[in-house]
Amino acid sequence: MKHQSERKISGIAIIWGMLLMAVLFAGCTGNSPQPAATAAPLTPAAATPAAPAAHPSAQAPVTAAPTLVPPAPVATTTPAPVYTSSEGNVVAFAAASLKGVSSQLAADYAKMYPGHSVVFNLDGTQALKTQVQNGAYADIFISASNAYTNELTKGGYFADGTVKPLATNYIIVILPAGNPASIRSPADLAKPGVKIAMEDKAVPAGTATCAVLANLAKSTYNADWNTSVFKNVVTYETSEPGVATKVQLGEVDAGFVYESTAIAAKPGTYATLTIPKKDNYLQTYTIGVLKGSQSTGAARDFENFMLSGAGQQDLKEYGFRPA
Amino acid sequence: MASSPAGTDIRRTIALACAAVLVAAVTLYLVLPILSLFLRTTPEIFLASLADPDVKSALALSLTTSVISLAIIVLAGTPFAYVHCRHRYPGKVLVDTIIDLPLVLPPAVAGLALLVLYGRAGLVGKYASMSGFPIAFTTLAVIMAQVFVASPFYLRQAKSLFDQLDPAYEQTARTLGASPARVFTTVVVPLTAGGLVSGAVMTFGRALGEFGATIMFAGNLPGVTQTMPLAVYVNLAGDFNAAIAISIILVAISFAIMVTVRLLATNEVPHA
Repeated sequence: MKHQSERKISGIAIIWGMLLMAVLFAGCTGNSPQPAATAAPLTPAAATPAAPAAHPSAQAPVTAAPTLVPPAPVATTTPAPVYTSSEGNVVAFAAASLKGVSSQLAADYAKMYPGHSVVFNLDGTQALKTQVQNGAYADIFISASNAYTNELTKGGYFADGTVKPLATNYIIVILPAGNPASIRSPADLAKPGVKIAMEDKAVPAGTATCAVLANLAKSTYNADWNTSVFKNVVTYETSEPGVATKVQLGEVDAGFVYESTAIAAKPGTYATLTIPKKDNYLQTYTIGVLKGSQSTGAARDFENFMLSGAGQQDLKEYGFRPA
Repeated sequence: MASSPAGTDIRRTIALACAAVLVAAVTLYLVLPILSLFLRTTPEIFLASLADPDVKSALALSLTTSVISLAIIVLAGTPFAYVHCRHRYPGKVLVDTIIDLPLVLPPAVAGLALLVLYGRAGLVGKYASMSGFPIAFTTLAVIMAQVFVASPFYLRQAKSLFDQLDPAYEQTARTLGASPARVFTTVVVPLTAGGLVSGAVMTFGRALGEFGATIMFAGNLPGVTQTMPLAVYVNLAGDFNAAIAISIILVAISFAIMVTVRLLATNEVPHA
């Protein structure tokens, strides 16, 4: 009968279709290892292919062959660069507080290692760490928090021996130009009606700020002051530049950021309120080459550049302290 | 070319197989990521995360603000769309374009724009702040951001429905003595209710998922302005399990809404 044969054909078609799908999906499984979630998952998800972020393409234009090219005249001793044509680009995940200095670093890196270039992915260290743990591709990881660096080291993400301290930074309070709320000392931060912006506690700058406030409460002010300050917080930003933006727009009366942000800003953008060193929290930035990096030569060159006089000079100009 | 019955069968089989693959591929692409959320956690972890006060407050805040935003959009938007469709007025084309603007505007830009206008240093916000009613960084700001980004979804749907609706029904009602307002509430809305509900559902979903404008304009303060999408993003680094729990809740809500709509909205608009 015509109907029966039609139904048979539909059945065959569906079975063929499902077999085809199964074949396609079999090819997708068994890829990069899933990072250990904080609790044991039920079963590994069927197909969650890693999504690389900016994957360096293999056609980076490099003019010189693997002959040694003398680096640009810098008063440092740098190892002569040795690279192959596929290693031209470096993908660097860097803490958001390096936003201001990143273009200078890129330019000077290209000067020191001609033919190389670096592209930065700037975000809160916590966001970058999650991206790396879920398979994002990066050559270099610059972290603003020792805790996150240790977490990635324990997870085996860094190439051995490449994790080095890069710079340090203190916390400072910035105020909109003109200081409209007349904040002259940390005590004024607890005044009712003052609006404060700070980073979320998962952001390294946020952890540092909480520590600073705790130190100040213990040494100079009291626990009530600490509570009042937190009552005045109107937003927990997800990255350090977010706080700076809110202050610059005049939407809040005070914000907690790194000293480097205040130093590198155009004169007149902010008023500042320094916090005594004894109560302050020294944040340490670390740099490391990631194990999954495919351009180990260029990546290590970049790390050398960042640790060399040229890189450190750039960081110093933008307000970072030496490691 | 005369094909034998066997040849036709094979061609039909191949065509059906390709269609089956296409349907399966599209469906799986949309469903698998959502499924993997469920697979990445266990019921115990999920329930434990639900007890987290931050999760609970984000859930309550998201639902409340989205419902309020939807109410504002529907109550103001439906009469607006009706008046816009039934009358010709100078600048109608411009208004048409402006209504669609939030659709193509990146949410972060929308948030920045709202902040620049209604923030403490903004043209309007200056006076609001001085009179003691600050707008930015409040729950009101969350609602305003949601209304701004989600309204095009409803307005476009309402406009298209009213344009399609045969004016004969309204004209008949008018000749029978009903006022324009009565015509609107007793004739037009019931006839278009099905489509309006589905537009409202899309609007609710968009308002519930708003992230960029919220964090820019309203900030991120647990209990006041930290909606569920913000809570997911903030917890991605800290408490991954809380992020997954909130995501699962959002998926469940979306699914429940869609099923409800499918059951409720079955009317077709009587075409002109």
